[in-house]
Formats: sequence, structure tokens, C-alpha cells
Amino acid sequence: MAFPAALFPSYFGAGPPGEAGGVAPAAGWGEPRRRSCPAAAGRARAGSLPTSLLCPSCVPTRVAGSPRSCLRTSFTAGSFTGSSGQLGHFFVDHPEDAFGSLGQLLHKNFYLGNAKLRRQARDTTIRMTSLVEEINRLEARHGCPQQHFTSRVRWFSHLCRDWLFEVPLDLLADCVHDELVLQWASLLFDDSSTGGALAWLPPEDAGAHTGCLVYPGGQAMNQLYFQDVVVGEVPRTRGSPAQFELNGRIRQVAAAQLDGEGFVGVRSDYHCGVWKVPGRTGAAPTPLQVIRTNVPASCLTVSPHLPGELAVCTQSGAVYLWSVETGLQQLRQDPQTMFFRDHSPWRWSEFTAHPRVLSCADRTGLQCLDARAPGRCHLDFFKVGEEAGCQQGERVVLPMYLGRAHPSQHLVATQFAVYVMDERLPLVPVLKWAHMMKDPPLFAHVVPGGPGRSHKVLLGASRTQELLLLQYTGGSESACQLAGPPQKLHSISGCLQHLPAQLPHRHWLLQQRLGAPAAGLAAVPHARGQRESLLVFQLSEAGDVFYQTLTHEAAQPRAPDGEDKDEAASSASPMLEAPFGSTPGSPPGSGGEEEEEEIFYLSNLEVIVNEEEEEEEEGTPAASEETQHPEEPCASPHPLPAVPSPAAAVRYRRWLKALFRDWQELPRHTGVRGPPTISQKRLFTRKDLGPPAGTSDLHVRARQQLRRAMREQGRIRRWDLGPDPQPLPQPVEPAAWPDALSARLTAAWAGDLSHWWEERLGLNMAQRQRALRERRRRQKRARGHRSLSASFTSSVTYQSELSELSDGAPAAAPAPPLSPGHPEALPQVFTEAWGGSLAGGSAPGGSTPRRPPPSPPPAEPLLSSQTLRSRGIPKERRKMLRDYLAVCTEGPPEPLPEPPGSQPPSQGGQLCIPSSQSQLSGSQPRRKRPRMGF
Amino acid sequence: MDSLMERAAPCPAAQAGSVLLPALHLPLLPPHLYRPATSHEHKLNFRKSKEACLTYIQDAMLQKQWKRAAEFLTFYIESLEKDFSTEYMGPSEMIWRIGTEILCHHSYSSMKDFNSFIEQMKTLGVKRYLKVCLEHAFHLLCNGQTDEAYQNLSLAESWRFGEQTTAQDKELKLIQAYRGLLDYYSWSKQKNVLLEYDKEGFEDLSVEQEMHSSFRKAAVNLKEIIQIPGVWDVFVKCYVDLLEFYGDHDEARQVLSEYAYNSKFPANPNAHVYFYQFLKRHGEPKKSLISVLKILHDIVPSHELMIDFNTMLQKSKKRKKRRLGLEVIFAALDYAGWKENVKAWSCLARQVKQIIISEKHLDWIKQEWNSRKDWWPAFHFSRYLAKRNWQENESLAYEKALVAGILLGKDCKYFKYVSHQGCKDQKKRLRTLKKFVNKHSPVYLRISGLSDSSVQT
Repeated sequence: MAFPAALFPSYFGAGPPGEAGGVAPAAGWGEPRRRSCPAAAGRARAGSLPTSLLCPSCVPTRVAGSPRSCLRTSFTAGSFTGSSGQLGHFFVDHPEDAFGSLGQLLHKNFYLGNAKLRRQARDTTIRMTSLVEEINRLEARHGCPQQHFTSRVRWFSHLCRDWLFEVPLDLLADCVHDELVLQWASLLFDDSSTGGALAWLPPEDAGAHTGCLVYPGGQAMNQLYFQDVVVGEVPRTRGSPAQFELNGRIRQVAAAQLDGEGFVGVRSDYHCGVWKVPGRTGAAPTPLQVIRTNVPASCLTVSPHLPGELAVCTQSGAVYLWSVETGLQQLRQDPQTMFFRDHSPWRWSEFTAHPRVLSCADRTGLQCLDARAPGRCHLDFFKVGEEAGCQQGERVVLPMYLGRAHPSQHLVATQFAVYVMDERLPLVPVLKWAHMMKDPPLFAHVVPGGPGRSHKVLLGASRTQELLLLQYTGGSESACQLAGPPQKLHSISGCLQHLPAQLPHRHWLLQQRLGAPAAGLAAVPHARGQRESLLVFQLSEAGDVFYQTLTHEAAQPRAPDGEDKDEAASSASPMLEAPFGSTPGSPPGSGGEEEEEEIFYLSNLEVIVNEEEEEEEEGTPAASEETQHPEEPCASPHPLPAVPSPAAAVRYRRWLKALFRDWQELPRHTGVRGPPTISQKRLFTRKDLGPPAGTSDLHVRARQQLRRAMREQGRIRRWDLGPDPQPLPQPVEPAAWPDALSARLTAAWAGDLSHWWEERLGLNMAQRQRALRERRRRQKRARGHRSLSASFTSSVTYQSELSELSDGAPAAAPAPPLSPGHPEALPQVFTEAWGGSLAGGSAPGGSTPRRPPPSPPPAEPLLSSQTLRSRGIPKERRKMLRDYLAVCTEGPPEPLPEPPGSQPPSQGGQLCIPSSQSQLSGSQPRRKRPRMGF
Repeated sequence: MDSLMERAAPCPAAQAGSVLLPALHLPLLPPHLYRPATSHEHKLNFRKSKEACLTYIQDAMLQKQWKRAAEFLTFYIESLEKDFSTEYMGPSEMIWRIGTEILCHHSYSSMKDFNSFIEQMKTLGVKRYLKVCLEHAFHLLCNGQTDEAYQNLSLAESWRFGEQTTAQDKELKLIQAYRGLLDYYSWSKQKNVLLEYDKEGFEDLSVEQEMHSSFRKAAVNLKEIIQIPGVWDVFVKCYVDLLEFYGDHDEARQVLSEYAYNSKFPANPNAHVYFYQFLKRHGEPKKSLISVLKILHDIVPSHELMIDFNTMLQKSKKRKKRRLGLEVIFAALDYAGWKENVKAWSCLARQVKQIIISEKHLDWIKQEWNSRKDWWPAFHFSRYLAKRNWQENESLAYEKALVAGILLGKDCKYFKYVSHQGCKDQKKRLRTLKKFVNKHSPVYLRISGLSDSSVQT
């Protein structure tokens, strides 16, 4: 491989990184290197600027230094990221916790108004207004070189420092410091998934279109799947995946294709395994070897040169060359970092152009180690420092060997920039670009460009699901150059806007699902005829695999370098979908697209979907952005929403359906969610539960009663329509205890002892006789009007009776009567039930209870067992019903209201069976009701 | 509104509203007093909307929606109004960067727009004046406007702004160097003109004078930058070219060896290559060439010059050098990039053959092979590779088969496959190969260390 005859000029300095960078969200733009000179300029090619001048970019909230060093400096510099700043935020955000008790004690003594304090108040109150103003001014002047504290602020701070805070300031600062260290460490570098857990094994010969996608899935991401995928305009899965269950969460899947065979390395925390995938499609992968580590492994890479060789790193700082045939060879064991001290235990190792030389990385840089003499031979390859123009706080997050693009090139990603390094020119990056990603790239994939074409590097971030496509050329004949501006691809979460509208809880679920951090990345170039495309697969931590298609488009004539560019246009579509239950509560996957032009429906999806695993695919080759309309109306904060094609919509819906189905099944499997429910299936047959063939009166009435109760917002009471399986407890019948004492007690209980006493003395005998007579007369009259039309009058009499009762105190009844407006009055049911024929005789509002007309007893046909059966009433109940109805029919259709005392006690048992007849026909049962209240 | 708020604030507020001092907030103030009603709230809001706007711009640019980005940029320019930031990269720099990028890709932008934009950007920040100038010059060069670029660079070179000039020393040096490069460019044009004239018998003093002045200007600037550690391939080449033209070989040699061997400079293979080429041009003795290449071999064993090196060494009479040659070619073939290099394989095959035939120095091969026998078979001589090599490049397969047959014996998969295929195809070349390997099969045993003394012939 040739080395470029002339490299771009750049300064080279040694030493620690230069200036501390800050937030620079645009650092990647405006550099000249991505435009190459026209031939006319001859050798005077556009050179790259000194790299040390490049400004890094990072997320505003990210810390630009190692946590510790930042903390240290922040105490002096008072920077935003320092603990002092954090303490300030804490005071502002949680004033109660910070100053609660003293604030309460003192707040009367602090005055914040503008007015002058009056004389008396001045003894106990101080005016703080000017102090507050001064503090504000200080804030505003922050950053000003002539920053000085005024004496008043200093005075106040000296005065209060010891007692103002709820938690002593030093203690609080210590806690905040510790917390910040922890938080930043995890925030900055969440390294467990570095490398990504998605791998693609290309088909052995270029003509075949079936490759193998390797990814984790299952409940704990501990299942390893090998899925054949047919690459095309729209990728399809073929057959069901080969599946292996591992005993740990799969962190990384690395793969390499060698001599027609695929080697797949799988890393979980304490185990690493290697599988061999035979070249011919359809052959089953075979596990080769597994190793166990005492310390979590942080890296596993598969050699692209020699079959069955892998590199393993553990968090204890050990680097091993692992050969399936000869076992492990330790190359290095050093808990310290290489170039300067950094506390991170993360290590990485990659192969290089020389099969016996491994690169070995930690946060501070990369070295090359010769496996033949690991102790002696090592070469500094990349250093976080002035050599590469790094900035303070920059750390290596992902090294990758770009062997497929160029045998001696490596990619080194930090949280601010990506560097392309050439082994032949160590320490000096041949290409540097500030990637401006919000989250450090944890996954990368290179697609070699072939002669005359650009290499494509995909960078993926985990938490934010960012996906960036970078193209560069050169390396052997010419110096490395970026080709065209970088391009952002769709993220999985962007799919959400293209999915049909959902109920809020489902929307939330979807949001969670699609927003899960990305867990892997793979890309497959594909060419059919003239049409070239790049398929990009994305795996989310929820186990979803999405893909998007980038179609190739020749460079615009404008582009001076004449490079071909790949224009991305597509949307991410769900490709494979792991069962929802597999990762409950895990974050969703990524994959969204902002522009979709065409989406194709995958036709043979159905074959793949099964109970265990949902797999769906959607292809969406997208149109290039260059083709977008020149007249965009105006800049809108959101890119033009693309409308997915109908086919894609169908695909999305299908995916959704599968997702929700899994989701709903989840509680049944896990029993975690939802209250326990008891199935009724065993208690009743379906026939029991189903509505009878014809709606009977019973049903109509019951329904109406329900409806009425609902309308009146009353209680649903025991049905008096059908057989009630739960008889009321037998009320105590005062008449059964005729002795004087009992009667007296009863009267006292009812509250009219004086009345009883008078009666006992015979004082109101005449009155009583009159009342009795009156009642008999009324009853007689009522019997005479037993027609429907009389119901109205009867209700009137009822009213009058009530009023009579209410003013006349309890005449005969020992219990107080119902109040007239009581909505619970049962008889209404009947008025309603009959309402149809009554023509307005019933008041739907039910505010005035009416005495219903007596209903004719249920017809005899009810009694025949045949009819009972036909109504679906179970055999054992039929008899009961029959008995019950017999009682009703045998009894007088309208039993005379007897004073309680006149009823023989023996009848009590029967009477208390709530019979619609007896209850409805008179006020008698009502008299008993108040007892039920107790 | 902005200006009003500005006046209300007692002091120009830092952009970073959140850059708080250890805040001393009084206990239990009602919430609206935590941040008293100064312009603080407003600043925060302004800052937030600025950030949002920037996000939109980024987003649009990353999706190549240059128009959309441009529209947002016009809004973003408002942020200049309060550019008091102490941040690493202030709004004015961002506007410059983003604007440049957009103008480079926007379909309706013209060079004129670009130039006027850049002129504005130059006035916007003195802190990066020279950088903007340099980038501008690059852009002009990329668009073929060499003269404008030259003018621009000269103008930037004479820029003085107190401390700022020294602070941007690195850029200034680069600007001078690039101007020197353009001087060199015009020098070489004039030189060509003169050479043309010479052929035709003309003489043009003015052109000649111009050429010399170009030379002087170029030489001064180029000389300066290449003394600073860095990667200066282009500048060094041009400078050496100038010196050589005027016959200053000693200076050229000095420059090149300094560039290659100064330890402050990065280990740039090109520096050695230039030195080697220079020595070769000037007919230096083999010995010095070899020593240059030896150093190159030590730092980049996979460099393409290693073939030349090997050839040179093989021709040498000295045993030590021939031995080194074998080492060099074995080392080169260790690298993945050389796997299918026919030239390298034929070099190795030739040398191995020589050694076998002469039956001397078999231990050289043995030693080289010892450290490779555990992985070369899988790396180079697998059956899969034999098949592929045979399909793609027969002569490569032939050379490799020869080496494989000698190193691994006639039973090795690679040799077997290739010879089998070759016999099928009635290749004469393969038949001789097979004969050769069969004849020297005992060598394999010796090389692989299986032999005992009885096998030795």
C-alpha cells in the first residue's frame, strides 16, 4: 500500500493537550479540508490547518475535563461545571433543603423592599435590597477580568457562612463533589456497550445477497440470534434465526469474515465466547470456545487476519490475545493508564495491519503492542495531547481498525472529534473532524469505498441515538480528505411521528420503546445494476432492529472533488423486533427518519412473525436532500415532515400491533402489572353467561333499574325482580315478643315511648280507632282501583299517606317511614318498566316516587322446566326458581297490608324472601326496612 | 426590548447566564425574587432561544438542507448583539464557520457572496482574523482564483493588531508559508516559460528577473516554516526544488536530513522518502541510500520502497546485506496490505530460490520462518486463499505456491491446490515449479526444524 506522496501541512507539538475547550457546537464546520483544490493549484493543495487550532465541540452539559481535574480547577476558576457552581444551583433549586430552618427563623428580620425601614423596625430588621442588587451585579459581571468582590458581599458571606446553611457547607461540598464525580463518570463514558452488539456477516461471494445479522435479544438481552437476511432494495429476513442462550447480558458482538467463514465474538460482563458461522448460507453457527474473566471484560475484537483469533481486554488493564487453538496470551497487565493518569478502567484493543501487532487503548491514547515480544515492543500510536491537537479533557471513547477501507488506517473517536490515524505515521492524525455529536460515539462501522470512491464511516451514539455518516477519501495515493459534508441519518425515535396516533398510554409506551438507547450499528452496501444503496441497521437496547436505506447518488457537478456522495434518504424502519416482554422497562430502540420518500412493504414478513419473536422489516429508500424543492417556504424549526408511504404505514401498523400484543400479554406472563383478576370461565359456561334468546321482562326490568339508578346516581339495590340468592337476614319481629317489656323496649327504641305510654294508659284509644278505620277505608279503595290507570291516583294517595304519616308521627308503624323524596324507592322500577304502556304515567326523573301498579305475576310458562331450560337457567336453579315463583303465584296477587303484628311469626321466613310482589304491592315491607339500617 | 433590558442591567451581562458564582441566595424569598427582576430572566431566555436556533441550524446542515440552515442563520445573527461571551467559541466564530459551510454548499451562492461574507467576518473578530484570512485563501484556491488568494495572503501577512498578531503567530507563519507556496507556483510557471524560450533560443530578462524575485520570496517564507516541527511535505518539496534549481545541494541536503532525522518532528515516512529520492537523484553511493532506507524500514516496514530496498540488498555482494534483504521482504509480507502484492512475493520467491539452490544460508530462512510459522500458514497459505489467488491472479498464486512449497513442504494445502490446478490446466510453469519443490523437499524439514543431521545433504 502506497503512502501519500505529500500530506497536508500541520504543526506538530508534543505535550499535554492545549487549551481547554468549551462549548463549541459548530466546531466541525467551516474547515477547508473537505474541499480539495482544483488541479490548477498543483501541489498547493488546500492544507489542513494546524490541528491545535481546531475547536472541539461538546454538549453544553458535558464536562470538558476529567471529572476530577475539572472539579479541582473549578474550585479555583469557578466554572460552570465546578462544585461551587453546582452548590449555587442546589441553593437555588432547593432553598428549603439548603436554608429551611434558618430561613424561617430569620425571614422576619430581612427586609427586601425598596422603602426605608421605619425606626422601630430597624431594631430587628435589616434591609437586604442593596446586598441582593450587588450579588446580581456580580453575576452579571462574571467573566469580566476586573472581577472583584465588594466588601458588603464579603462581609455578609463571612458573617453567615457558619450558620446560614442547613447542612454545613464543607460537608455539603464534599457530598456534591463525590456525587459529581460519580455522575460525570457515568455520564461521560458509559462504556459497557462500546463497540455495539450488532454485527453483519456478508455473504461469501459478492453475488449472493444473503448475509447474516447477529444481534442479542431476549428478556435480558442474553439470547444470541443469527438471522439470515436477504439484502435488496428492501431487506428481508429469511427463515428463523439460530438462537443461543447465554448466561449474561450481551454487551458486544464483534464479527469478522475470514476465508469465507464468519467469526463472531460475543462479550458479556464476565464471559466471552466465539462462534463460527460457515460461509454457505443456511449452515448453523457453531460455538467454538468460551472464556470466563474475573474482572468484567471491556473489549472483544475479532482478528480480520487470522481465523479464530481475538483480542480481549478486561477492566483490570489486561490485554490478551485469544486464539481458539492455543488459548490466551497475555500481552499486557497494567492497571495504570498509558500516557497520563486517568481513573477509568476501560481498555480496548484492536488488530492492526500486522496480524501479530495489536493496538491497545485506554482513555488516554493508543499504543501498538507486538504479540511476539509484548514486553519490549510498543509504539505510541495516538496520544491525547498536543500531538493530535486534542483539547483538555478529551478522552478516547472508541478506537476502531479501518482495515477494510485501508489496511493501515485506524479510527479514533473521542467525545469531541474523530481522528483517522495511519499506522505508518503515528501520533499525527491524517484526518481530524469535530463531530459535534451530543453523545460520544460508541459504535462505528466502516464501509470501504473501493478504488476512486470514498470510504463511509458511520458513527453512532448510544443515549441520543445519533447517527452520522462521514465520508473520506485517500490514504494511499493521496492524503486523506473528507468528502462532502457529514450527514445525519435518521434515528429510531424519529419513527414516532410517522406512526399512527395512539392512545396516550400507548404513545408513552411507544415513546419509551423507540427512545431506548441504541445498542449497535451495522451497514451493508448493496448494488443492483446501476443502483447502489447502503443499508444501515440499528439495534436498540429494547432489542429492536431498525434499518434505513441510503441511496447512492453521483456527486453534483458543483462538488470540486468529483467525489461520489451517498445521499441518505430514507427512514428507519423496524427490521426485527424482539418480543416486548424480553426487556420490560428497557429503553426503546432508535430509528427514525425525517425524510421518507418511498417505503416498501416487506411481503414475506408473515412467515417470520411468531409468538416468540416479532420480526418486521420495512425498507425505505429515501430521496436525496439535494433534490428538495428550491422554494422552501420558510425555515421551520422542524424539518419537513415526510409522510410515510401507505405501504410503510401498513408496516408500521403491523409492527405496532405486534408490539402491543406482546405488551398485553406481558402481565399474564409475568404477573407484574395490573390487579389480579379471576376468570369466570370455569364458573359458568358461555351459555350461562350469554343473553337468553329472547329478552325477557326480567332483563328489561333489570336493565331499566340499573339505568335509573345510574341516572339518579343512587345505589343499585337488591333486585327485586329475580330470585335473590342472598336472603336478607331475618329481621327481628317485634310482634313476636308480645310481652309488655318487649313492647316498651321496642317503643323506646323507636323513639316514641311517650306514645306507647299514652296508649298503654288508654289515652288515645279513640284516636287510634279512627286511624284504623281510615286506613281500612283506603285499602279498600285501593283494591277497587287495581287498574293501570289507577296507578297515578294511587301514587297520589301514597303521597298523601306519606304526608299524613310524616306529620302524624308513627301511628301504627313502629319504624319511621321512608321520606317522600327518597330516590331509592323500589317501586319506580315498575313504573319505568311499564312506562311504555303507561304513556307518561311514569316520571323518568323519578323525583316523585309512585306506587307502582301491581304487576301480574309472571306467567305460568315460566314454571315449566322447558322454558326454564330454554332460558339457560341451570338445572339446580330451576327448582329454586320454580318454588319461588310458586310462592308468588300462590299467594294473593295483592296481599293486604297487614299490620306487622297481625302477621303470624311463622310467615316471617317466607316473607323475607324478597318478592317483587310483596314488596311492590304495599307499604308493608317498607316498614320493615328501617331495621335493615342497623 | 433587548436594548431596554440592556440598559437596565448594570453591567453587560455575560452570555452564560448560568455561569453563576457560588450563589448567595437569601432564605425563603418568594420565588420571583430568587432571580430579581433584572434582565437576568431575559438573558436566560435569549440564551435558550439562541441555543435552540443553533440546534436547528446544525440539524439542517447535517441533513444538507442548506437553505433552511441559511434562513436560521439570519436569525442567529441576532445573537451577535450580545456577544460578550467568555465561551470558547463565541457566536461570531460560529457564524463564520456555519456561514462558510453554508455558502460552500448553497446552490445559489456565488463567489462574490462568499467574499463579501468573509470580509464581514474578518471585521467581526480580531481574535481569529488570520484564521479567517487563511480559510478564505483556501477557498479561493479551491476555486482556482490563485491571484486573489495571493493578494489575500499578502494582505493578511501585513496585518498588525498589537498583541493579537503575536497571539496568532502560528497562523501568521502558515499564511507566510502558503504565500511562499504560491510564489513557488509562479516561479515554476516562469521557469517553464523560460525553459520554453531557451528551447526556442529567446531570452527574456524581465521574466527571468521576476522569476528570481519569486524565488527569493518563496524561499524566505518556506525556509521559515520548515524549521518548526510539523508535517511540511509540500513546503519541503518546493523548497528543495528551488534550492536544487539554483544548485544549492548542500542546503537542500541539510534541509532534508533535518526534516527526516530531527527528533522533534513526527516520524513522517515521507521525510525519509524525500531524502532517499534526493540522494538517488544526485547519484549518491548505494551505501548511503541503503542507510536511509534502513531507517525507513525500521519505522515503516510496510513502506512500498521496501521492494526497492530488497532489490538493492539482494544485488549486494555482502552476505549481511542479503540477509537484511530477506528480513525486509519477510517483514513487508507480514502486513495485510501486502498480502496480494505480486512483486513482493516474487522478490521473496526469487531470494528463497536462490538460497535453496546455493544451499547456503538456509538458516536465514529458518530464522525468519521460526517467528512466522505459527501464523503465516493461516494468514497466507490457506486453501481458501489458494483458490482465490488462483482465480484472481495466477502469477501471484505461482509465486506464493513456490514459497509455500519450500517453507511448508509439498503437502501444504496451498501448494497442493495450486499445483493440482496447474497440472489440470497443463501449465508448464507449474510443472517446473512442482519439480523444483519436489527436488528440494528436504529443505522443508530443515527449515521447519524437523530435520536431523542425516537429512542434510
